[in-house]
Amino acid sequence: MSLNLQYEAIGKGFVQQYYALFDDPVQRPNLANMYNVESSFMTFEGTQLQGSVKIMEKLLSLSFQKISRAITAIDSQPMFDGGVIINVLGRLQTDEDIPQAYIQTFILKPIEGSFFVQHDIFRLVLHNTA
Amino acid sequence: MEYDYLIKFLALGDSGVGKTSFLYQYTDGVFNARFISTVGIDFREKRLVHQYKGRNHRINLQLWDTAGQERFRSLTTAFYRDAMGFLLLFDLTNEKSFLEIRNWIEQLRMHAYCETPDIVLCGNKADLEDRRVIKEWRAKEFADKLGISYYETSAATGQNVAIVIDALLEKVMIRMESAVDKAVLPGRRGRSRDLNEPEEYSPVASSSCSC
Repeated sequence: MSLNLQYEAIGKGFVQQYYALFDDPVQRPNLANMYNVESSFMTFEGTQLQGSVKIMEKLLSLSFQKISRAITAIDSQPMFDGGVIINVLGRLQTDEDIPQAYIQTFILKPIEGSFFVQHDIFRLVLHNTA
Repeated sequence: MEYDYLIKFLALGDSGVGKTSFLYQYTDGVFNARFISTVGIDFREKRLVHQYKGRNHRINLQLWDTAGQERFRSLTTAFYRDAMGFLLLFDLTNEKSFLEIRNWIEQLRMHAYCETPDIVLCGNKADLEDRRVIKEWRAKEFADKLGISYYETSAATGQNVAIVIDALLEKVMIRMESAVDKAVLPGRRGRSRDLNEPEEYSPVASSSCSC
């Protein structure tokens, strides 16, 4: 497959759609459709998860009710298999907590004219030293 | 104001158990809160005078709070560093928060300055008696098994809040007193040695931890 030159639009469109589902507790379970049952990986704060079932278990176990987000940057690149790699830099606020910076990286894998999330890596931007 | 001791306590436990309210109650709503965004820490300071062995010690107490990142299980080592006492809170009306205490203790032992640091377990929200799901004997039995003290608290009414902090302070002061000779203090884990001795390996070195 060749490079998908729509990578920029795909990246932005995906991120918008993904967080719209994530940030709405009612819709969050629908994120399951973004991942593959077997061949999706997530690293959530250092915890390795494979497959949509484990990934959704993790996402649905998060205890906050409300989440709001401000996206600072979405950087995307096309991949040689027709996929797209996306890096998000943003801030999120859960309930009444103090806003926290985070980074999240997605790799979208093409499948039958669409994509699924093959890789998803999430970290809050917290350091070991002040 | 000068002080004799700077003592750092951490408040730990699942989100929503009332850590922030607890600390707020203790400081009468008056505190210097400071947030360090790079490490995700919110901390308050309170000056107090603690009587120990008939002597007054001026203490600058730092109370460290998470800033919500415990929801993601993301507490960095910076958070635990140099903490001398641990307030471990769960919500008496929330079974899961009680079950998670075991994990918090594991985390704490991994990151704290020694494997048996001073911990006080608090069953918070004791004012919500009609919604309670954790019986007092159950929490008490659990704490006894772990060898830590247990109190039922209410950040809303102030029940036992100051008593818990005092109890923890007392434990920490005792440990500090006994650690002075051995030069084993937080932040020096595993490197304890008699400062008067040369820095050579000593085969008769005693236990490296005062705890």
